[in-house]
Amino acid sequence: MKTALITGLGGQDGSYLAELLLEKGYRIIGAVRDVRRTEDSLPITLKNKVELVAWSMLIQEEMVSVMRHYQPTELYNLAAYSSGAGMYDDPVGIGEVNGLSVVRMLEAVREVNIGIRFCQASSREVFGESFEGLQTECTRVNPRSPYGAAKLYADSMIRIYRQHYGLFACSAILFNHESPRRSLGFVTRKITHGAAKIKLGLSQELYLGNLNACRDWGFAGDYVRAMWLMLQQSQPTDCVIATGESHSVREFCARAFTHLGLDYRQFLADEPAAYRPAESVPLVGDARKAKEVLGWEPQIRFCQLVDMMVDADLQMLKEKNN
Amino acid sequence: MRTGKTALITGITGQDGAYLAQFLLDKGYLVHGIRRRTSSFNTARIDHLYKDIHDPTTRLFLHYGDMTDSSSLIRIIQQVQPDEIYNLAAQSHVAVSFEEPEYTANSDALGPLRLLEAIRILKLENKTRFYQASTSELYGMVQEIPQKETTPFYPRSPYGVAKLYAYWITINYREAYGIYACNGILFNHESPVRGETFVTRKITRALARIKLGLQDCLYLGNLDAKRDWGHAKDYVEMQWLMLQQDRAEDFVIATGIQHSVRDFVDAATQELGMSIRWEGKGIEEKGYWIKKIKKQELRSRSAPCPIIQVDKRYFRPTEVETLLGDASKAREKLGWGPKITFRELVAEMMCEDLKSAKRDELIRKNGYLNHDRYR
Repeated sequence: MKTALITGLGGQDGSYLAELLLEKGYRIIGAVRDVRRTEDSLPITLKNKVELVAWSMLIQEEMVSVMRHYQPTELYNLAAYSSGAGMYDDPVGIGEVNGLSVVRMLEAVREVNIGIRFCQASSREVFGESFEGLQTECTRVNPRSPYGAAKLYADSMIRIYRQHYGLFACSAILFNHESPRRSLGFVTRKITHGAAKIKLGLSQELYLGNLNACRDWGFAGDYVRAMWLMLQQSQPTDCVIATGESHSVREFCARAFTHLGLDYRQFLADEPAAYRPAESVPLVGDARKAKEVLGWEPQIRFCQLVDMMVDADLQMLKEKNN
Repeated sequence: MRTGKTALITGITGQDGAYLAQFLLDKGYLVHGIRRRTSSFNTARIDHLYKDIHDPTTRLFLHYGDMTDSSSLIRIIQQVQPDEIYNLAAQSHVAVSFEEPEYTANSDALGPLRLLEAIRILKLENKTRFYQASTSELYGMVQEIPQKETTPFYPRSPYGVAKLYAYWITINYREAYGIYACNGILFNHESPVRGETFVTRKITRALARIKLGLQDCLYLGNLDAKRDWGHAKDYVEMQWLMLQQDRAEDFVIATGIQHSVRDFVDAATQELGMSIRWEGKGIEEKGYWIKKIKKQELRSRSAPCPIIQVDKRYFRPTEVETLLGDASKAREKLGWGPKITFRELVAEMMCEDLKSAKRDELIRKNGYLNHDRYR
């Protein structure tokens, strides 16, 4: 039986990955900051099916002892300060957790068992203000935030450990990926949650930042499948994971409200505070390599994604208010 | 001459720190430096600049601090209120960065971020200018020759990756917060006070000692590795110039001339009047010292011993083979160019290391151990 060690199991991606790996018969170890809190917040599908262990992203010795004890075959690093408006609040902490902790993990892999396969959840933020319209694995990086710089640091170290020590380590350069489990701080969830509230008469208005900002939005469930596929190959290689489609925040709103039979224009109020400093330009990923190497393609497209999120929020709010 | 400006130098005890401190003192700056507490003395390079703090003419001040310790950096910056910060502190050794990747990142990547955060926290964004010592190691496996400001990066060591992070963070703080912050992408720069574990200094020190019979052999890594070597003294001038402009920009600083490690050895031995014959290839390559032998000694002569050998431990699979900088932008925009040639650099380093080897020889002849040894 394969054993997967997942950091950030309590997050959106972690929960989808754990579900996928459970289906595939893996033993799953979630390495988390706070076992009790993660346990309480696990979706029903994972309750009592995963083992949780406490570790700190800042302490290599802890990583070593956890890996020694559980002897994982695969290691997925999904723990991170997430992107979004908070990217500028604690830059040193972001550097520590999103950047340096990856070195600690790579060193721990070297120490415990060089055969452990390692997949890093990287981010399209490494491209920042991109030089090219469609970003591939070869696109020049240009990170424009402490978050992007830390993710790039991690990617570069992974490449060096792969080249220098022969580790099976790779980065999945993930473009935005959403789901009903996305936290409310992200614009997509803010929209679907806000629209559902308006639909139920719980709110009258929705505050958003730049409506014209464009993103390449995929479904988190699809993206974790790509990460798993990356560790099933004969050679480690970095892959861009994206849908290849760009949609504006406005389109996202339009779809969400239309799905509820509403016109978004009646409910929007501008909220400049949600603008980020040094705003990134629109980014679209080119996942052709993932298709060729992994046979991966996104199954959920934009409209399905929005509808899924709106339906989930509507359902949740109805239950909560009954 | 007083400009009334105050500079803070991190890494003041290092090669560049010492040259920059001297340069800024000559320009009339008040110079503050950060040093780490270590069990051995680490201020040898600046001792000649240092006066007792009770001397009213003193303009050089040292503070204990550490790049891995945010609060020490904030405290010092608050106290000093610098007009300019030069971040020269780093774990700067490529090979060591493979042994200590986390520490290297903590000091070289997060260190500069801590300084920039301190500037922001102390609301000095409009007062304090920031210089980040970037490096040609960012280019690693070079994507074009020669390398300039627009060349894509491909670092090949934990050191290069940590420095790349700092490079992007510096740009990020310039753009997001309007801090006058810039990167000097410096190619290799050497001097008589270069750290003893760097290849140039390793060569000049060892050859001087071999010449005087204090050492038998020098072990090196890849003799074909090519570098663009300049003099640290020239480069610190450029560091200062970068902070005196209307607008913060990044610059490559280099000589534009490349030499191999073998070239460096040849130039150094010529300075010593030694003649070297190279034999073999790759890790079998050896350098023999061809001594003029008197006729009567010919018969008793044993096979010559190599004074230079290759040790494959110093070879790395992810070796940076070649670096060559193009400093056209620095020349055109700032009128900067290196003044000291490669031969002059080697000569100066050789001369200083020969002096210190002679001192050791003298000490030994008189029955003592080397001057810099404890026992």
